[in-house]
Amino acid sequence: MSPATVGIVLVSHSAELARGAAQLAEQVSGGTVTVIAAGGTDDGDLGTSAAKVSHGLSRADQGAGVVVLPDLGSAVLVVKAVLEDHGDASSVVLADAPFVEGAVAATVTAAAGGDVKAVAAAAEEARHVRKL
Amino acid sequence: MSASYEQEITLEGDLHARPAGALAVAAGRFTAVIRVTAGGHTADAKSVLGVMGLGATSGQHLTVKASGPDAREAVAALIAILGEATKVGG
Repeated sequence: MSPATVGIVLVSHSAELARGAAQLAEQVSGGTVTVIAAGGTDDGDLGTSAAKVSHGLSRADQGAGVVVLPDLGSAVLVVKAVLEDHGDASSVVLADAPFVEGAVAATVTAAAGGDVKAVAAAAEEARHVRKL
Repeated sequence: MSASYEQEITLEGDLHARPAGALAVAAGRFTAVIRVTAGGHTADAKSVLGVMGLGATSGQHLTVKASGPDAREAVAALIAILGEATKVGG
């Protein structure tokens, strides 16, 4: 197992939603992964903030890369804009996944020592897992 | 040919999110292919969502089956986690 685990950034239009999903993912995975909630605008309203996403990427990166999960389509635009300015784009992967399920699956795979590719794949597979 | 091992456990509590997470985190550290079966449904032990989707409850029999180079260790580790994690509930 590599010493550093992949970090996770959860980008939501809602600060509470991002925080809640981060808490859930941390609890289910045993609390060994850095999960950063980047939700809401800089003023605390509903929306997304490039500054919060950028700050989140820096905080989440423990040396093994970062997987970013956006909640709704327009959050993707903000994340993409931030990634264009981000120094090491190869270590950051944007995952196309259901927000809550993807956050939990990604964090568990990161806790098990998966690399950015495996963590992003776990998040994206969440789309195919039935609950009932 | 790598060996295949399996072992059954009777759950002492429901397989909620946290025990499912502990199981999947541990499973992910093995190279073996690991499957858990309960109530006629089978899931990849490395998929926390799959394990939660089993909806396994207290009193149910759950089978852990692994194949690969570290299959024996994987089954032993996961059975131990299931015994411990479902005792206190999730």
